[in-house]
Amino acid sequence: MRLWFPAVIFLLWLVLALFGPLFALSPDHIELSRILLPPDSHEWFGYDDLGRSLWDRLIVGAQTSFIVSIAVVTISLLVGVTIGALSAFVGGWFDHLVVRIIDIFLAFPGILLAIALAGLMGPGIDNVVIALCVVGWVGFARLSRAQVMTLKNRDHVQAAIALGAGRSRIIFKHLVPLIAAPLIVEATFAIASVVIAEAGLSFLGLGIQPPTPSWGSMIRDGTRYMLVAPHMVLVPGIALMLVVLSVNLLGDRLRDWLDVRTRDRN
Amino acid sequence: MRGTTGKRVVASILLLFSALLLSSCSAPDSGALRFGLSKMPVTLDPRFATDATSSRINRLLYQRLVDFNAVSMPVPSLASWQRLTPLHYRFTLTPDRPRFSNGERLTSADVAATYEFILDSRNASPHRLSLARSIERIETSGEAVIDFILKEADLLFPGRLGIGILPKSLIESGHAFNRSPVGSGGYQLAAWPDDTHLRLKRRSDQLLLEFIEVKDPSVRVLKLMRGEIDMMQNDLPPELIRYLSQQPGLNIMHGAGSNFAYLGFNMEDELTGVDKVRQAISLALDRDSIIQYVLGGAAQPANALLPPDHWAGAPALQQIPYDPEAARALLKPLGYTPDTPLLLTYKTSSDPFRLRLATVIQQQLAEVGIKVELKSYDWGTFYGDIKAGRFQMYSLMWVGIKLPDIFRYVFHSTAVPPAGANRGRFIDEETDRLIEAAESATTIKAQAVLYQQLQSHLLQRLPFVPLWYEDHVFIARDGVAGYTIARDGNYDGLLYVKQN
Repeated sequence: MRLWFPAVIFLLWLVLALFGPLFALSPDHIELSRILLPPDSHEWFGYDDLGRSLWDRLIVGAQTSFIVSIAVVTISLLVGVTIGALSAFVGGWFDHLVVRIIDIFLAFPGILLAIALAGLMGPGIDNVVIALCVVGWVGFARLSRAQVMTLKNRDHVQAAIALGAGRSRIIFKHLVPLIAAPLIVEATFAIASVVIAEAGLSFLGLGIQPPTPSWGSMIRDGTRYMLVAPHMVLVPGIALMLVVLSVNLLGDRLRDWLDVRTRDRN
Repeated sequence: MRGTTGKRVVASILLLFSALLLSSCSAPDSGALRFGLSKMPVTLDPRFATDATSSRINRLLYQRLVDFNAVSMPVPSLASWQRLTPLHYRFTLTPDRPRFSNGERLTSADVAATYEFILDSRNASPHRLSLARSIERIETSGEAVIDFILKEADLLFPGRLGIGILPKSLIESGHAFNRSPVGSGGYQLAAWPDDTHLRLKRRSDQLLLEFIEVKDPSVRVLKLMRGEIDMMQNDLPPELIRYLSQQPGLNIMHGAGSNFAYLGFNMEDELTGVDKVRQAISLALDRDSIIQYVLGGAAQPANALLPPDHWAGAPALQQIPYDPEAARALLKPLGYTPDTPLLLTYKTSSDPFRLRLATVIQQQLAEVGIKVELKSYDWGTFYGDIKAGRFQMYSLMWVGIKLPDIFRYVFHSTAVPPAGANRGRFIDEETDRLIEAAESATTIKAQAVLYQQLQSHLLQRLPFVPLWYEDHVFIARDGVAGYTIARDGNYDGLLYVKQN
């Protein structure tokens, strides 16, 4: 698949999420006489079970998924990289402890842990972010630890140590910039996973609370009307699929581009 | 040679796979009539049943001394009665009463044993409270006569005897009626193999009836269309009912219901305790639109807890108008406008349909300057909060109301939970006076007049906003005949249903 397709979808998601508030949207406006009306020339995506515009709700849902995914990936990245890099650089019992903790998190299904946490803390966008961060930092920590392990004995790092540079300076000035490429690729895949996870939690009623729309809760609402109004599931379902697919494809392309061996071959 | 064998193996696998697919596409045929339920009964012991499904299925398994007619007046079922004195009721069992399903003859001793078990506080029957207030003692004479001696005069007493009768011998042996019921009703238990299937056998013609639990409404509809179930009643969104009405091979029957939906308030709260706030809420609700569009027209607007055709109902009550202007005018002197709205929390169950209704109400209230925060909980948490008074506003439904003594249970100042169901903590002298006057009336007619006055008073004070009575809908495949819908939504129609 060519690059333009995922790029267009991704840009569309970005534009809708960032500039959505500029549109005159009324995602919660109920029009009882329009309940479950199918798409037509005036309303391309039709109406939901309360006569609300699915287009308006889709855009606000895009903002929700964008905010959650950016927040979760940013926090997970910062926490994961700090822990992973520090663990690899310090080594010893601290590294052993961090590795065991990472193993425990990896042994437990991430989404199940997020469901349990969201269930314990109660529904809401902030709790969804916390729940997904708790399971999201592990991937970044493992990757950054492995990368720092291979880099920490390089000459420039040894030179920095000899010159008396502090741990944080060495890690963030001399090591992290060198592992940025694989971390960026990992982040793109994490964005796709978080979009799916947020939709899953909202589908289960543990995410964004009504009437605020999110793609997961829109799909959940639509499943009850699959027989009479399939557009209620298809509209958010296809949007979700396209965004996740495009982010994954872009991540793939980015990985290929950053890999000098693949780039040289091409 | 090797290639031919490989092709044969592949062909065999494909054939087997096709056969499996085909077999999964055909509806199972056990010869039974299959009834789809959203929820299986909790217990088949009428002494402990409180949920609607258990009560409805228990009516098929057990017979009662007394039943109710179309206007909810008690009528003889297993027994006729005489009021010998205000404190003495004599019930005489009908001579042609059916035997228990274990072959034993139903006698006065069984009736006495059933009610004595319920009255014994050690057994913790949920039905004890309403009976223990009335009954002093129970005496039997002969095989068919039971005397109930009361503590205080109670005109409604026969209506309290609607609990199924169980055989004394099995009560004494501690029989587990909850899983293996033995009654004298039209059906008897055939099998209860798992938590989603319950089979009953009709005693008159051995017709097999199977209740099948299918929680999801869409799946239930698909099973009905595929012939995996033959019929079902209620628990469907109106859109699916409309969809089914367009499908061939299905018949849909509607019937007026008495299940009463309402919006309750906490009268101790500094906001919802204000009369004008509750009046504004009642005027801001466009009940007709909700009934037309969200309930698919399958409900009747309500003005009181009892339906207008109940013998103690109040058909002359003025309908609450939809008047958002008047609602805004009531809120303005209190300092609330759409720009500076009144903030309220509204609790509801997490049932999707109830949540949908609550969202519509939320929008209608927002238009007059009441900003409502919706909070939906699972049933246990929600009901716990309501009983404990942890709410400002909530919506619920009263199901199967027959006797007007519900007013004492719901509105008397002494009925605050756990003593009763005055969940809104409504304390009102005039309400107490009217309830007590109605209870001490000497004739049913005088009692009806007083209850009508009470309902008029409640409509003025608005401790709750009456919403609507939801209709019942029964859907069956072609070939199912003879079913009638009961006003309270019971399944008595299954006593006469036929499979052509």
